[in-house]
This record gives sequence, structure tokens and C-alpha cells, in this order.
Amino acid sequence: MNESITAEIRDKARELFENEQVDCVIGYEASARDGARPVFIYDAADVDRLVWNEHCIHNLVTYLHDKKKSQKRGEDPPRVAVVVKPCDSRAVNVLLAEQQIARERVYVIGVACEGMKEAEGESQERCVRCADRMPVIYDVLIGNPPIVDPPPEVYADLAAVEALPPTERLAFWLHQFDRCIRCYACRQVCPGCYCTTCMFERDDGLWIDAGIELGQKHMFHLGRALHLAGRCVECNECERVCPMELPLSLLNRMLTREVEELFEHRAGREEKLSPLLFELGEEGSPL
Amino acid sequence: MKFTTLDQLKAWLNSLTAEYDLVTPRDVDGKVLYRQVASADEILFDYERPDLSAKDYFFPATEVLLRAEQQGSQVTQEEVLPDRKQVIFGMRPCDAHGAAAIDALFLEQDPVDAYYRHHRERTTLVGLACPQMWEGCFCTSVGGAPDDATHLDVLLREVEGGYAIEAVTEKGETILKGLTLEERGGEAPESAPDAEEILVAAPEKWRPLFEDKIWMRHGERCLSCRICTYVCPACRCFDVVDRVTGVREGVTHIERIRVWDACTSPNYRRAAGGHNSRPTKPARLRNRFYCKFCYYPEDFGPLGCVGCGRCVVSCPVDIDIREVMQEVAKAE
Repeated sequence: MNESITAEIRDKARELFENEQVDCVIGYEASARDGARPVFIYDAADVDRLVWNEHCIHNLVTYLHDKKKSQKRGEDPPRVAVVVKPCDSRAVNVLLAEQQIARERVYVIGVACEGMKEAEGESQERCVRCADRMPVIYDVLIGNPPIVDPPPEVYADLAAVEALPPTERLAFWLHQFDRCIRCYACRQVCPGCYCTTCMFERDDGLWIDAGIELGQKHMFHLGRALHLAGRCVECNECERVCPMELPLSLLNRMLTREVEELFEHRAGREEKLSPLLFELGEEGSPL
Repeated sequence: MKFTTLDQLKAWLNSLTAEYDLVTPRDVDGKVLYRQVASADEILFDYERPDLSAKDYFFPATEVLLRAEQQGSQVTQEEVLPDRKQVIFGMRPCDAHGAAAIDALFLEQDPVDAYYRHHRERTTLVGLACPQMWEGCFCTSVGGAPDDATHLDVLLREVEGGYAIEAVTEKGETILKGLTLEERGGEAPESAPDAEEILVAAPEKWRPLFEDKIWMRHGERCLSCRICTYVCPACRCFDVVDRVTGVREGVTHIERIRVWDACTSPNYRRAAGGHNSRPTKPARLRNRFYCKFCYYPEDFGPLGCVGCGRCVVSCPVDIDIREVMQEVAKAE
């Protein structure tokens, strides 16, 4: 299965280069350590570096932000093909809705997904929870809908935290945030975190200063979660990359559930803005 | 060899807490981290490589350098330095090696960094040899060893029934005075340096590769996060910022803090006016490696890498310093 998907991805990449449809293909290459890692291919001669296996955990859509600008003055931005899993594909929809990428400049290679595994062979928690096995947006679709076990109760772990009285819940989170080293990996890996200047990293320290202390970490994580309300596509990359293993998805998933209950919106299922974002109109819009 | 049992060791460590802050590896929600502990019962004696280095205890992630109070045109300043002595117990040799690498810049160059010197002087390093090398480790390739005593004050090695113990410096001898030691026959066993040798290219080898494709190939997938620099025992970049901590009764309270910074971060090289001389991920990642193997040894002496392997195992996109080192060493 992986071999045939790998071959199809390579063939598609080769075809895209030969037809001069794209300047770059963002996919996965083999990695001795992690099984797979992101790779950027610029030439048909290199397409055989591309692979597909059960370790293709990274959400490559985040790299599209590096391709928004033209490389040389006067040139158009590059045209990019990107390999996406179902969860990653939702990020494409979010970036389209937020006008971060132009549809005609991104070629989406969607791949059916059975769920990804850590290098050690354990299934990713997000994949155990996931019920979406086919990408929601693509220019080419590779693979067939896999047959997998239906996911368990998605919010069970969240319920355990929510059952805590407020003071204990706060204590739980402060205890978690205390481990944070403020490396910003969660933000950097997130396709939805693309502000040129993060409000938590302003020179004037308007919201929080540069200190790597509990107060700043607390503010950063809650602020980041709120900014992703209705925008988080549940790829869970933030939790995967965290070197301190903070259970960040609990925050994001709580907001995902709230937004779905209140607004019937689930980020990235369609090319649609988060209901918590709105355009300022001529009249009647709150400022 | 000098020998002590675990019980004697614990009793000694507990007695030290009267005079010293005791910092040791601890299990913190499944992560092994150096943390200050109140009693030897909290110490983790069986661990691999702590997930973070110990540098936070002499080069803190956030350090208040001074406090100031402003009232009208009156400004008063107060320097802030902790005065307690500190012992880091169970430090891995690579972490001590990292401290030595930082010393080259902060202590062995003028001007000396007074804050850093203060922490180094108040701290005694009691190391515990790694019985083996761990995932990603390559200390033996960059001048270290899993049982290297060189940069420690005391080195312990686990042996049958307890620990072989060796004072390395005068500071080490002083701190050991309260510990019951027995003389035992034989030598303490050496650790097995069993990792693959990684080639270290000299700065002259690095310089002509500045525009090489290596940097694009590895740098493009970099996330521009700060994991590798923050877990590194030898990375030492910092920023200094002032912050207002409160305004009370007409008095503005100000702190000047020093905080860790990271050359992998997009804003690191941003100058007044907004120009950024390292605007891309490959340019930033290249700097990280050049700093460690070219600029730092040329400017200050030691390598900026001690082979602890933390950046290797914690990078979310498999940027492997060993792979880069090999590619540079083997480049035509």
C-alpha cells in the first residue's frame, strides 16, 4: 500500500515538474531517525526522494507560509504542490478562507490516511481519535478509503479535566505550563499561527514580556488557544512537537467543541472563515 | 577507589541542604529535569540524559539583573544576585562540558560576565557518569566522554552496592568533607563509549561551504522554533529587556531582565528599522551550525557543541546535527 502510494506521489510530482505546473513539491522523504521527514523538491530529477509511510506525521501545510512571497522582486510567488493527509487538508481550507494562499498557486496532493505512528511504532493519539480518512480538498487523490476502527469517545480525556473544580483546574494547567520552556515550537509548527509579529513576542511587551516565567507561559498558551478557536484543524502538531509534552490539544479541542456546539462550525471542513472572525463592514460592525 | 553507599550519599546530600540549594534530576511528569529539591528522597538516581541541560542554574532562562524604582525624577537602582550556594548533583558530564564551553565566552574574555561568574562560583558540580551513551549522544566525538570528569568538581560512578567517588577540584574536596567514604580495592569501571564516531570538520573546512546546498536542504524544513537552542548545554545567546512590574503609590517598579534568546528564531537578527540580515530559515540554521563549529572555536576556543544529542532527539522535523557534521566533513 505504502509502496503504491509512494509511486503515485512520485509520478504526480514528476508530471507536475514536466508540465511546468509547479516550482516546488513539499512532501516527505525517508528519515533514519523518524521514519519520515519533510522535504522540498525543486526538480523532476529528485522526485524519487519522496516517500509515503506510516510516519508521515508532519503537517506540511505550515510550510506554505514560506512560499507566499516571490523569491525575486517582480516575480510571482512560487507555485507549490503539497502532500496532505485528511487533517492537513483542512488547514488548506482554513488558509484559503483566510486569504493566505491563492488556490491556483497550490496543487494539493491528497492522500488517504490510515493513521500515523511515532517512530517507535505507537499510533498517534490524534489518529486514534480521528474519523476522517480522506482529504477534504485536493487536486489529485491518492489511495482508497481505509477500513479502520471507529474512534472512541473523542472528548473523554477533556471531560476528566473539565470535571475538576475551577481552582483545581487552574492548578492543573499551571502545573502543566510550568514545564513549558517557551520555545514556541507549538506556534511555529501551527499552520494557523502565521502572524508576522506574534502578539506575545512584541518588542513593547504589551501583553507579556520576554520573561520565561509561569505568568508569561500561562498567558501565551491560553492566548494561543483562543486565537485558534474555530480555526484549529485538530492536526495536533502543537502537542506532537512540544519537547515538554504539554497536553495542548485539551485546550484546542475544548474550543473546537465549544465552537461546534455554538456555531455548527468545524474548522477546515469547508473553505469557510471561523465564525469568531468577521470582516469589518460599513455599518453595524463592532470595532 | 573511594566508595560510598546510596544511604550515606543521601544522608550527605540532605545535610548539604542546610547550606546549599540542591539541584538534581527529577521526574517531572515523565520528563527528567534538573530541579531544586528539598530532600534527597526526591532525587532520581536511575536516569538517562535529562531532557533539558542544567544551564538554567548558572545561566537562568530568566534572570533579574537589577531592580529600579522611579518616583518623579528620582531613580534608585538595586543589583540583585542570589547569595545561596548551590550544588548540582547528578549532573551528566556533557552538561559540565557545556558549562565549560560557556565559560570561554563569559569568563575567559573581557569583560567577564559578573552575573554568570557569580552563579558559577556559588555552584559545585557533582557529576554522575553515564554508564553508557544514550540515543543521539556523540560526546566522544567532540572531546567528551560519558564518564569525563574534566569539567566537574566531583565525579560519581555507579558500582556494585553504591558509588565510586572522585574529587576533581578543590571545590569538590571541600564539599565531600561531610561524606563518609570507604577505601575499596580496584579501579572504578569506565563507561563504554559505544556511539558511532561523528567527524568534526575544522573551521577552515566550514568556511567555503557557506553558500552550499546543505543549508537549503536542511534549513527549509526547520520550523524556526527554539527547541534546539534551549535544550543545548552550550548555547548561550540572550536578550536584555526592561519591564515595568508595577506602579504603586506613585512609584514605578522596573526590572531589567536577561532572558534566553535563540538564533533560530526569526526575530533574532532583526535590527532597528526592521532589517533582518538572516531573513530565511536556512540562513538561521546555518548560523547555528557555524556558531558551534566555526565561529565559536575560532573566537573563543572550544566547540559550541558537547555532543549531548538533545537537539537530535527533540527536533520535531529531524534536523540532525550529526548528519550535518558528516556532510560538512565529507564535502568535496
